[in-house]
Amino acid sequence: MRDDAMDQAFILAKDHLKSFLRKVKKGHRLVAPVTNQHNDTLFCTINHLDRVPINLTEQAQNGIKSFLFPQQETLATYAVSADGYRFNRTDVRPEPTVYFGVRPCDLMAVLYMDVVFMGGVKDQHYLEKRQDSVLIGLNCNAPFANCFCSATKSGPFLETGFDLMFTDLGDRFLVEVGRPKGREMLQAWQQFFTPAEAEDTRAQYQLSLEAMAGFRLDVYADQAIQRLAAGLVPESVWEQLSLRCQDCAGCAYICPTCTCFTIVDRPAGPDCGERLRSWDACTFAGFTRLAGGHNPVAHKIHAIQTRFLHKLKYDVDKHGRPSCVGCGRCVGICFGGTDIVRFIKMAGED
Amino acid sequence: MSLMRSEDYLPRPAVIQKIIAENSQIKTFVLALADQQANQAFTYRPGQFMMVSLPHRGEAPISFSSTPTRPGTIELSVRRAGSLTAAMHALQAGDQVGLRGPYGRPFVMEDLQGRDLLVVAGGIGLAPLRSVINGCLDTPGHGKLTILYGSRVPSDIAFRGDIDIWQHHPAVTCHLTVDAPEPGWDGPVGLVTGLLGQVKVDPASSTALVCGPPVMIAAVLTALGKMGFADEEILTTMERHMKCGIGVCRHCHLDSKLVCVDGPVFSRAQLKKLQMDRL
Ligand SMILES: Cc1cc2nc3c(=O)[nH]c(=O)nc-3n(C[C@H](O)[C@H](O)[C@H](O)COP(=O)(O)OP(=O)(O)OC[C@H]3O[C@@H](n4cnc5c(N)ncnc54)[C@H](O)[C@@H]3O)c2cc1C
Ligand code: SF4
Ligand code: SF4
Ligand code: FES
Repeated sequence: MRDDAMDQAFILAKDHLKSFLRKVKKGHRLVAPVTNQHNDTLFCTINHLDRVPINLTEQAQNGIKSFLFPQQETLATYAVSADGYRFNRTDVRPEPTVYFGVRPCDLMAVLYMDVVFMGGVKDQHYLEKRQDSVLIGLNCNAPFANCFCSATKSGPFLETGFDLMFTDLGDRFLVEVGRPKGREMLQAWQQFFTPAEAEDTRAQYQLSLEAMAGFRLDVYADQAIQRLAAGLVPESVWEQLSLRCQDCAGCAYICPTCTCFTIVDRPAGPDCGERLRSWDACTFAGFTRLAGGHNPVAHKIHAIQTRFLHKLKYDVDKHGRPSCVGCGRCVGICFGGTDIVRFIKMAGED
Repeated sequence: MSLMRSEDYLPRPAVIQKIIAENSQIKTFVLALADQQANQAFTYRPGQFMMVSLPHRGEAPISFSSTPTRPGTIELSVRRAGSLTAAMHALQAGDQVGLRGPYGRPFVMEDLQGRDLLVVAGGIGLAPLRSVINGCLDTPGHGKLTILYGSRVPSDIAFRGDIDIWQHHPAVTCHLTVDAPEPGWDGPVGLVTGLLGQVKVDPASSTALVCGPPVMIAAVLTALGKMGFADEEILTTMERHMKCGIGVCRHCHLDSKLVCVDGPVFSRAQLKKLQMDRL
């Protein structure tokens, strides 16, 4: 396959998917969505392609945040000895990983994490996991119940940002090549791919139009963003939302773009221990508490503001787009109805 | 600081060379990195801070109170506030702490060159400003320095060794005040803002540097504005809870800013753009 031929799209027959993934697995850990016996669909490491069926029809509950930024990870171990007070890194280098079946929203979320963890000072722990990873996306022909990625411009079809992007055309996948790692992967296993025909790209276009028409929620994110920027969202909106937030952080943990964390020491003995980093949430009371007890974000209402302003105002100012990717997960998880869709609706009302 | 820098979160061991008890709450730790080569190569700027580690206690951000014009060691002045700082106060010369950094946007000494400085500090707030003051005094061509320092009570006055030198320095005017007197105190009593009216400074040729408790900072910033200081020429440092020091964990958020990378030094002009009701 010539290099300049790579700009076009390719076809992978569905019958060949397993063989392709089997090859991929030889040099990589494979992570893909799987439905378990409890009927939960989760991204997980696939050890045996024949034993676990990859589920490409449901929305995974977890996204791939935790693979690149684990809920808890050891930053270092420490020990005090005659040598002094020493810190060491213990973890082994992460395996090169292929993430397969990543939805556009979750893919955009990884690109956002790239900016957070590698845009300024590079976070070594994130970088090591990220640099050897390949993102193979799957466009969404049919949005799920709580999806609103069209409103945040992060789906349901993506044109850039991926290494490879799959679109389900029924008996075959249309495969688009994005970043260099995708190109390498396609070149390495070119026996599985044939050039796409004009009718394939036409079929993809048709599917993307149908997907755009398939959203069930009306979410006017741009309107809320504009009203936030203009300072038009009344205090009563925040008050109402804060009344029902139970401080559980479910929204932050499930959110593919929430990346706040804390760092704590866990002693393993009198003279040694681990330094851990774990997910945290800006909505927690105490997130900003200072020594002496002074807390600049003392009220629930401010904590709620912090979360939504960060996603829909500060990041718009800083990066030109909101950091909510419209995946809808927080809508399903918040029993208080304090989710971002509710906020966008309330913020947009006069 | 290069944008391409990477952070592995590994503190480096540093040895306490000497401990100076500034008052009953504050100790200054004179430190050198255990690795001599690294210690020699180490550079920093006034206003920046280090993340200090102690076994089992995690980390705390502490500003440099020393000046890079006096290389070889660094000084961190620590007020006993809680778990880590109390454990640090129990250490002896020869003991080790972990250090990573330096972090944060510094005071730009080049911009202060030749300008008169009005330093207004309360309590431990003098620590980062001591770095600026001594840095200026070490650099030829500095302007006049006026230092106003407020303490709770006379026995709380920290950095007495420096204050003694400043009070005898021809280019420095240094006034102290206390919230409450103690026997033997014949100086002024009252808030540090009260001293502002008594000093002769020309706002047009001066830069004001302010650090202390949040309420004090707020009052002083307003008073300086009334005296005619331009918002760009009023600099202060902000305190926030911090975990990473590199702008990723978001613990130190101040509206759209992250204090660890966008600060801790801010001008009043920058702060005005933020929602200061949450100061
Ligand atoms: C940029 C920067 C520079 C700084 N420079 C200096 C400096 O030069 N010198 C200096 O002394 N300090 C400085 N500080 C402040 C210093 O970092 C804090 O005092 C320090 O982190 C306190 O740590 P600690 O473990 O001793 O206290 P902690 O144990 O964390 O907390 C102390 C107190 O905070 C309150 N508190 C904390 N957590 C809780 C909780 N979960 N529930 C209830 N109450 C709680 C309690 O009142 C407690 O006694 C600086 C801070 C920043 C951000
Ligand atoms: S939010 Fe958009 S990209 Fe994400 S799963 Fe739903 S339709 Fe797909
Ligand atoms: S805020 Fe909610 S909808 Fe937006 S990205 Fe996070 S979990 Fe998804
Ligand atoms: S301390 Fe982590 S972002 Fe500032």
